[in-house]
Amino acid sequence: MIQVGGHGEDNPNVSWLGSRGMWFTYLVVMMTLHLFLLSIPFLTIPLAWTLTNVIHNTCHFIFLHMLKGSPWETQDQGEARVLTHWEQIDYGIQYTRTRKFLTISPIVLFFLASFYTRHDAGHFVPNFVTLMFVLIPKLPQFHRVRLFGINKY
Amino acid sequence: MLNAVLAFFYRNLIGAPSYHLYLEAFLALWLFWLIRQRKKAEKKKLLTAEEEETIINAWQPRPLVDEKELDKMEGYDNGDVWGPISGRPGKYVEIDGEKYLNVATHNYLGLMDSTELDDAAEQCIRRYGVGSCGPRGFYGTVDVHIKLEEKIADFLGLEETALYSYGFAAVSSAIPSYAKAGDIIFSDELVSFPIQRGLAASRSTIIYFNHNSWEDLQEKLEEQRKTDKKNAKKAKTIRRFCVVEGIYSKSGTLCPLKEVADLCKQYKVRLFVDETISFGILGKTGRGLTEHLGVDIKDIDFISGSLEHGFASFGGFIVGPSYVVDHQRISGLGYCFSASLPPLLAGAGIKALEIIEQNPDIIEDVQDKCKYMHKSLDNILTFFKITSEELSPLKFLYLVGCKVLPWEVTRELIEQVIIYVKDNYKIALIQPSYLDSEHKLPLPCIRISVNRLLTYKEIDSIGNAIEDACNALNIFDSIIANISDEDAELRNEMVSEYEAYLKAKEDKQSRKAVLEEEF
Repeated sequence: MIQVGGHGEDNPNVSWLGSRGMWFTYLVVMMTLHLFLLSIPFLTIPLAWTLTNVIHNTCHFIFLHMLKGSPWETQDQGEARVLTHWEQIDYGIQYTRTRKFLTISPIVLFFLASFYTRHDAGHFVPNFVTLMFVLIPKLPQFHRVRLFGINKY
Repeated sequence: MLNAVLAFFYRNLIGAPSYHLYLEAFLALWLFWLIRQRKKAEKKKLLTAEEEETIINAWQPRPLVDEKELDKMEGYDNGDVWGPISGRPGKYVEIDGEKYLNVATHNYLGLMDSTELDDAAEQCIRRYGVGSCGPRGFYGTVDVHIKLEEKIADFLGLEETALYSYGFAAVSSAIPSYAKAGDIIFSDELVSFPIQRGLAASRSTIIYFNHNSWEDLQEKLEEQRKTDKKNAKKAKTIRRFCVVEGIYSKSGTLCPLKEVADLCKQYKVRLFVDETISFGILGKTGRGLTEHLGVDIKDIDFISGSLEHGFASFGGFIVGPSYVVDHQRISGLGYCFSASLPPLLAGAGIKALEIIEQNPDIIEDVQDKCKYMHKSLDNILTFFKITSEELSPLKFLYLVGCKVLPWEVTRELIEQVIIYVKDNYKIALIQPSYLDSEHKLPLPCIRISVNRLLTYKEIDSIGNAIEDACNALNIFDSIIANISDEDAELRNEMVSEYEAYLKAKEDKQSRKAVLEEEF
């Protein structure tokens, strides 16, 4: 693919999450989502927080850990085809800034949700389960690992 | 105020269940640890231990600089026999001041000598200059390119053409633009070098089937189907392709396209056909193998061809349905990253296509000459085996017993024949040159390329010249002397065949003498 004025990456998935202004955009989007949920009259504050957390984690799981390949036309000869977006980030190098940011954000969100739900057990379960769904695949030990062959091809 | 906030937090913490607090503490500690981690590159483990072992075992260390290697040029060098060419290599070719009848150059339609092509090229030069200044997508497209593309597509009755500046680049970049790592390509084992490069560049799994054997192809496809069934999830993600040539440029044989196309349909495999040699030669109007065999051209995903063999111009092309061919305009590497075909060559190509469109008898003429050449080579069958089919403009002459002869001996004997024919008959013959790295490297042979302008008399003279050379040089005795005792059976067979040949020849001569006496 000819990328006029682009970053010259074969597979832009490697780098776009680490590009300038990305963290800020991320936070803005999260906040917008949360404020939107808060603005719905019948949603209580704890429910709005849990929903924010669950939606956030679901998006993480789908876009970072479930879908594979790259939406751009691949000049990398299809190498990315077997990798999830998370595995493509920074060419698979662990503990980079982007990876740390994306790992920390669900945890911090979990803290906030726990706090605002007053550690209620009913809220804890969905918050914690979705957190595990996005944290475990992010561990370096799970790089390129497909548990029980799920999502292998 | 501050007190109120602190009290709120305190109440909140006191009220939290203890498992929650432990978990949060753990996560917080882990967070802290994570932030302090340094970058670590991914450990790549792409090969299994078994694969590693085979690679290590296959590796043979060589000295860094080997004198012999430096001297050795890859492939056979015809320069030992032939000097530099001056002038155009048309029907006749001038080498070192001597004029030879040329059956070495790919010029089947005899357009090399056509002044019409010269005029068309000249007009283009006057209008556009000599170069095109850039790749097709980057200021390199001029109207003749588009016109030629449309012309080729119209000629074959297909939707779209992608024009490349070099025939080699066309097929070798078209294949990897569709097939990627993980895909499977079924390929005839005798495909030409450009196709082999394309296969290698695609990084797909290559499965070679026996030359022209669609039964073997079917077997391989069936095998693949079985593997696919075992792992259906994986099978869903791979694409399958089949690559064949119209007329094989390494053996002169025709592809059984009908059967292959049927198999491809049956097994859902995409079919690529390289018509580099057969385009403009086969079929009633020169539309290639599909026309010759009556195969529906729409069954083929793309056809590649070149203007370098029959059409006395330059450049390669891929022609097929728009949705297939258009893909190459952004992903065919040879299309995107190479300067486009010089307009003058595109102009000559258009003219050449017009010529054969307006005079379909040219095609008939070529086919006649090919058949006649095939027949006239009958009298050297004692010395040479011919792999080519009747309709192929390329005739490959393999020395009898060349399979058991040492490689260098075959080379040397063939070279002797070529030199004899060169000196005594002024006919330019050639040995095709291949790189050592080719898949299924062909044995040394003589390649005759027929062209339309040869007269029947000249065609006869070629066969006679080779026969005379073989007799004069005692080629047969040299062959026999070089066959080891292990192949005694073959040797005896050859000797008896040779004796029959000599007897027939004597009979013929005595009959001639009798006839002469009578008159």
